[in-house]
Amino acid sequence: MRTVVYSSPFVPAEWLAAHGLRPVRLRPGAGAPAESLGPIMGMCPYARAFVGEAASMPGVDGVVLTTTCDQMRRAAEWLALGGGPPVFLMNVPATWQTPAAARLYRDELQRMGRFLVGLGGAPPSRDGLAETVEAYDARRAALRGALGALGPRGASEAVARFDAGEEAHDAALRDLGRGGSPDPPRLNRTRGAQDAGGAAGQETCRARALSRAVPLALVGGPLRRDDVRLFDAIERAGGLVVLDGTESGARTLPAPFDRRRLRDDPLLELVDAYFGAIPDIFRRPDTALHQWLGRELAASSARGIILWRNVWCDLWAASVGRLRETTGLPVLDLDVSGEDAGFGRTGDRIQAFMEMLR
Amino acid sequence: MSAAPKRLTMAELDRLCRRRQAAGAPMPAYAGPLERHVEEGDRRLLKLQYDDSAAALRLWSFLLTEEERLHAARAAGRKIVGTMKDLGTVPVMAYALPNVVAFYPDGAWWTPCVMELSEGLFGVAQSLGLGDAFCPVRAMAGAFVNRAHFPIPDLLTCSVGATCDDFSAVAQRLESLGFPILWWEMPSRRLPDPGEPAVTLPGGFRAPESQVALVRSELDRIRAALAELAGAPLGDDELAAGIREANRVRGLLGDLRRLAYTADPCPMPALEMLIAEMLAIHFCSDRAESVAVLAELLAEVRRRIDKGRGVLPEGAARLFWVNPVADLRVMNLLDDCGARLCGTEFLFCHALDAIPEDLPPMEALARMALADPMVGPAADRAARVVRDARAFGAEAVVVSRIPGASHCALEGAVIGRMVREAIGLPVVELEVPPMADPMWPTLKTRLEALVETVIERRKR
Repeated sequence: MRTVVYSSPFVPAEWLAAHGLRPVRLRPGAGAPAESLGPIMGMCPYARAFVGEAASMPGVDGVVLTTTCDQMRRAAEWLALGGGPPVFLMNVPATWQTPAAARLYRDELQRMGRFLVGLGGAPPSRDGLAETVEAYDARRAALRGALGALGPRGASEAVARFDAGEEAHDAALRDLGRGGSPDPPRLNRTRGAQDAGGAAGQETCRARALSRAVPLALVGGPLRRDDVRLFDAIERAGGLVVLDGTESGARTLPAPFDRRRLRDDPLLELVDAYFGAIPDIFRRPDTALHQWLGRELAASSARGIILWRNVWCDLWAASVGRLRETTGLPVLDLDVSGEDAGFGRTGDRIQAFMEMLR
Repeated sequence: MSAAPKRLTMAELDRLCRRRQAAGAPMPAYAGPLERHVEEGDRRLLKLQYDDSAAALRLWSFLLTEEERLHAARAAGRKIVGTMKDLGTVPVMAYALPNVVAFYPDGAWWTPCVMELSEGLFGVAQSLGLGDAFCPVRAMAGAFVNRAHFPIPDLLTCSVGATCDDFSAVAQRLESLGFPILWWEMPSRRLPDPGEPAVTLPGGFRAPESQVALVRSELDRIRAALAELAGAPLGDDELAAGIREANRVRGLLGDLRRLAYTADPCPMPALEMLIAEMLAIHFCSDRAESVAVLAELLAEVRRRIDKGRGVLPEGAARLFWVNPVADLRVMNLLDDCGARLCGTEFLFCHALDAIPEDLPPMEALARMALADPMVGPAADRAARVVRDARAFGAEAVVVSRIPGASHCALEGAVIGRMVREAIGLPVVELEVPPMADPMWPTLKTRLEALVETVIERRKR
């Protein structure tokens, strides 16, 4: 099956899948492939890493990027100039209050469909699309139901596995969502050390520590693969992420689908569930994001906010002051460049923030 | 004036101005010695070099009195529209209404330079969370908050979508502070797909008809808002008349650019040409006067060319300049290094091209808006640079990076690559902060090296 990688949560995986292609929402690593691509100064390290990995990853047949930020818009052009896999730049409108904006999003999905057909995909029938969407919706419901039981790092990794198209854990997620016991080695932990002997004792200590931890919200841009270390660093410093509002977290999952309307017009449902529902920083005005934050922060009882942003990301950078004003919570503006390989500087800053909160 | 044209310090220019005033030379009411602006804080003026013509003095006076004009318009009961980011489209519509004045709050990005940071706009911006990582346009937020510069507009519009993130972020921050904004969508311009209905835009880019239709519908929302603000209809007839007037400005600028960028010796310094081009985007808040200012400047250039005179030595290295400089003084540096301006792309070439008059006005405006070099691929912009550099006979290209601007990192690389491949010209990338003094030796050395390269290449 041909593989299409993408980055933005506004690209519906089920649209790609319905064309018979394998969608992979790529969380790039911090590895070397990116180093040769694009200028360093002024370029978002996430965009740079994504472009580098998409261009060098084996088995990638196409790439979909979006206009949701200037850096990614321009990265699409850079990637296309590099002679790698075919690139589709999807125009996701920044405005959302007019019918024209939703219409543009829908038109862009259809244009993307033609691109996917060009890659070897097949246009889906209405029923075929509806079935694919339903299947994704069911899997996503299981994911949503399980997230609360997974712990912050586990939840982030579960979303990443879902985005990567891995279905192997679906059954476990469903069990977990129904209140079954988690399978920590598979779902909640990825590091070997935590699977070793004495894990049960360590878990007890950890549970005690977490019960005393300072609840925090993590909001901001996308995480790279290695960035899940952030959750560990926060826990080591005495905090606990009770709300993951990063672009890589549950905030950017599409809304659940209306099954009845899905059968009538599945494409329209895609538009509503994605364009009509995902709150994000690039939207103008960005009302929905701040409503979401207000609601979720209140529900989470977070005592502080860590704003995770890639350097040169103006959209998140400009939100720091506003977050402080509107939430009244302390905000740690954590700018990351991808060059802090040991996570030392980042860890130190988190530590200092936690000391201030305690 | 019988002596050869030359560049003057501000003190010399002011002496000349006073002599003209004493001699009863005709001058508009706003024209006068620039010293008065220094007294108001525009200290950078003391460090600039100016063309010695009456036309240039008028240009500078016109530029530096814009805030006074806006306040006078407010006092006279005229409606003020702050048009953000689109650089050239909405003002054409706004000035089609008799009681509306439009300006770009974006223009505040030059205030920290002109006032040598004494105005504190960056400090205010910093306090709002808009620090050094943002493009100097963050000064605009400071100007809204401290209300010490332009009057707060009655209506604020901002194009978003395919725009710089800096601008979108700063504008959103403004809205969060209680300045309502009418956002309108500018799609990312793309090449038409095979078989897709398409049009050629002013300036030569191609775009799908569907994108033009979307922009047209967005501009219709602006039209309705302007009409409501003005309390008067903004029909096709008014718009068509507005387009004709805008084209007068563009026509004058077109002639001025063609002559100033091709004649040797160079008849007009780089700094005055930068200022003149800026008039195209919103007429410096007075459309009729901008026509008069440009007409006088054009006449001066024609006179000099007829007499074979220039303000710079003959044979200066011919540089094409990409992006406006945050520090105006760098335009002087270009001249000082043995170079001269030979074509520009200051982010708004769509505001220089004639707006089609043979189309329904909204269609024409939509096509013009979509021709914005910033909303399409950098390759489009590079192609325009290549075409214009070739047409003006440029010998090298300078890509002037704007500190913190989200578009500059990749765009400069693409433009540089395409220029080298297409026309084989040397390309230099510079970063120009709002106060470039600490970087002066570096900038000077790099420009001098580029000039030497150009001169050396002439020997081949």
